[in-house]
Amino acid sequence: MIHSLKRLALAPLAFAAGLTVSAAQAETLMLYTSQPEADASKTIEEFRKVNPGIDVQVYRSGTSDILSKLAAEFAAGAPQPDVLFIADAVSMELLKKDGRLAAYKEANTTGFPAESYDVDKTYFGSKLITTGIAYNTGAAEKPQHWSDLTGSAYKGMLVMPSPLYSGAAAYQLSGFAAKPELGWAYFEKLKTNDTIAVRGNGAVLKSVASGEKPYGILVDFMALNAKAKGSPIEFVFPEEGVPAVTEPVAMLSTAKNPAAAKKFIDFILSDAGQKLALSQGYLPAKESAGRPSWLPADAKIKIMPIDIKAVLERTEEDKSKFSKLFGG
Amino acid sequence: MAGSISRVRSSSDIPMSVPMKRNLPSEWVLTGLVVAVVVILSILPMLRLVQEIIAPGGRLSVAAVEAGLSNPATWTATWHSLVVGFGGTILAVIFGTAVAILVSLTDVRGRSAFVLCFVTPLMIAPQVTALAWLQLFGPASPLLKLLGIAPPLGTRNPLYSAQGIILLLGVQYGPLVFLMVRAGLRKLPRELVEAGLAGGASRWTVLRTVVLPLMTPSIIGASALVFVSCVGNFGIPAFLGIPANYLVLPTLIYQRLAGGGPAVLAEVAFLSVLIGVIAMAGIVAQDIISRRRDYRIATTSLPVEPFELGRYRMLVEALMWLIICTILVLPLLGLFLTSLVPGYGIPLSFKTATLSNYSFVLFEHAAAKNAFFNSTILSVAAAIFAVLIAVPLGYFIAWRSSWWSKVLNLTVELPYALPGVVLAIAALLMFLKPIPLINLQIYNTVWIILYAYLARFMVLALRPTVSGFHQIDRSLEEAAQVAGAGFIMRLRTIIFPMVAPVAVAGGLLIFMTALSELTVSALLWSSGSETIGVVIFSFEQGGDSSYAAAISMMTVTLTFLLMIASNFLARHLPNGVLPWRD
Repeated sequence: MIHSLKRLALAPLAFAAGLTVSAAQAETLMLYTSQPEADASKTIEEFRKVNPGIDVQVYRSGTSDILSKLAAEFAAGAPQPDVLFIADAVSMELLKKDGRLAAYKEANTTGFPAESYDVDKTYFGSKLITTGIAYNTGAAEKPQHWSDLTGSAYKGMLVMPSPLYSGAAAYQLSGFAAKPELGWAYFEKLKTNDTIAVRGNGAVLKSVASGEKPYGILVDFMALNAKAKGSPIEFVFPEEGVPAVTEPVAMLSTAKNPAAAKKFIDFILSDAGQKLALSQGYLPAKESAGRPSWLPADAKIKIMPIDIKAVLERTEEDKSKFSKLFGG
Repeated sequence: MAGSISRVRSSSDIPMSVPMKRNLPSEWVLTGLVVAVVVILSILPMLRLVQEIIAPGGRLSVAAVEAGLSNPATWTATWHSLVVGFGGTILAVIFGTAVAILVSLTDVRGRSAFVLCFVTPLMIAPQVTALAWLQLFGPASPLLKLLGIAPPLGTRNPLYSAQGIILLLGVQYGPLVFLMVRAGLRKLPRELVEAGLAGGASRWTVLRTVVLPLMTPSIIGASALVFVSCVGNFGIPAFLGIPANYLVLPTLIYQRLAGGGPAVLAEVAFLSVLIGVIAMAGIVAQDIISRRRDYRIATTSLPVEPFELGRYRMLVEALMWLIICTILVLPLLGLFLTSLVPGYGIPLSFKTATLSNYSFVLFEHAAAKNAFFNSTILSVAAAIFAVLIAVPLGYFIAWRSSWWSKVLNLTVELPYALPGVVLAIAALLMFLKPIPLINLQIYNTVWIILYAYLARFMVLALRPTVSGFHQIDRSLEEAAQVAGAGFIMRLRTIIFPMVAPVAVAGGLLIFMTALSELTVSALLWSSGSETIGVVIFSFEQGGDSSYAAAISMMTVTLTFLLMIASNFLARHLPNGVLPWRD
């Protein structure tokens, strides 16, 4: 009897012991990223091949969404991530301004264009992602210009990523809004044309390729990768220019594991990391890494000049204005 | 826990009468353990939640309530919750009652196969139901494309609406009403029906004036249960409502928490209490309505002679199987076809069909691989633990009936009766900071999900176990007691073997429910502790429907296989333990 009693009494203890063992694992790295689900998991897998001792935990969401989660964590005094891998430099600048990013002076930026990384070396662009117009091959119209989308043929047929979720979309919003030829009027016209804003570029791709909405504002690599796989989708880089983001990586000043965070940055900037981006269908920032098959060497793409400082100042206001106009 | 054990042991060292010393301590220890588990799983989380609302941080304050009440989003979501709650309930009650009457009172053939199929939607996770139905409509539907009748580009999927949510809630919970009304119809007094018919009343009149009034308690009971389920449902409004920006309370809580993290806990705690109050109001209303009249059925009689349908029989049978086609076969076919599509918008044919979505989620995607492992372990652990607790607990409730065992029973029911979101928020509040004394952090680990599963699903093992105890003759256990067997000994050699089949069936129900659970894990998961439900949800949110469909197909297949396999247990079980068995 005493024997069985002892066993009963010990069971919860053994259970608790098991808990502590699993809680105190090897080295962990907390990553917040806006990469699409499948790409993020591939990136981590490849990183772990180079750094087998590091257990990567990941939170994945849209850049704007990650920023609000981070703001809440800063307010609570407990920021979780060691390293950020998100869509655009403006979001990084916002964090840098508040002293949330740590500089990594020793990072190897050889072969990267100087404008791709921060002069203070707090964040490092990893690729070039532009936003253009995607349409279903079964669609009636073939859009060529940003202004086409406000036409009556597109009424109720257009989908765009919400800037409240996506960093690339937030960058585009403020970039366009600051331009006299487009301005806020452009988005007001999109709204009167019954355009809907959805959670992220992935949702836009699905909507356009499946035909729920035949036209969409979308990042290049998603549309062109899907096209390569056989999806009925076409992509246009409007000749008046496309906004481009750099998907930068950065270490937080509050990182609990700065050593591992640096290793992650090293990996993203390494040749292996840049080749991985290429194999995922992105245009890597390091030119020697090569170009994706959807981008021929003679292709002419005009990057729209956008003043990052101006965007930085107005992005929060623009987002809240957008939220009121489109209702979330 | 260890404290109470040592205290009991030392008290038995004090000289006491001999038989007391031999028999009671082990029973006390076990009773203490069982009560402690119930308190930890059921009472503590609810107390913690109430404390957060009325006295956050230990000081009385109405700030959280005021902030919640003054936010217009709260009222919109509450209104939406009520709309889909009532809409879904009405649809489920009409649908479930009609089918129950058709199956129970007429001479249709193929009943058990029909019941098995009809009850299956209840065993499929709501988010999988939603995903499957979504594949049936809209320009992207692989089924419509295959048939060449897909609507033109730009057509909106009609399910992304309040009506869509109500429709699917009706389909999901119609079987629940069916089961309860069918159980009631089995007790329908034959002589009343025959008296009515002999008196010249038509079948319709008998149905209207005899059968339906007698079924009122079952229908009201079912309505309350379905209402609570509809209001607390997360999977269906998450898949159909979020894209349409039609938020109900559970999805509002999810979005707030996903965007704001622990900082908004106080705010969402208020919202979760609001759902709890709406759900409780449903249960109280049921209680009041069923007390207004006395519906007792005095006799137990033979089952009612089935109404002969004559030449309509074929028609009715065809209609029944058409229903199965609509609510089960077609959606699952849509889900299956979507799981074979190689990429967005690519038309499906024998040439393009691929299994690569399956191999991706099984072998390549790290979070999905994690999720299969986590969900399996979580549901097996929850099932085993619940069975181990349910047997002694059921014993006290069924055979040692006293006021405190009744309280215990109600306490275990509470976390299941309340919407899952309520429990998830309570668990977050409890474990956000490390557990005091042992300084253990289970927030952001898989253990917090296990805790919530145990609390929520324990009653699924307890209910069948209690009904099992009620059907077993107690004399064997009493004989062993007289012969001097201690409580643990009796539990091990007599009580457990006798109720094992029911307890195991209960464990099986838990396993199937927990395997693709979403409501609780959507709020509690973290990186590394993904569950299958969460992975399906994130794939769908990111636009990867084909991956979501592939995982869903695997869970549906597993569920169906388990349902069929469990029928082998059926010989040892009381009626009604396995809902899908007629």
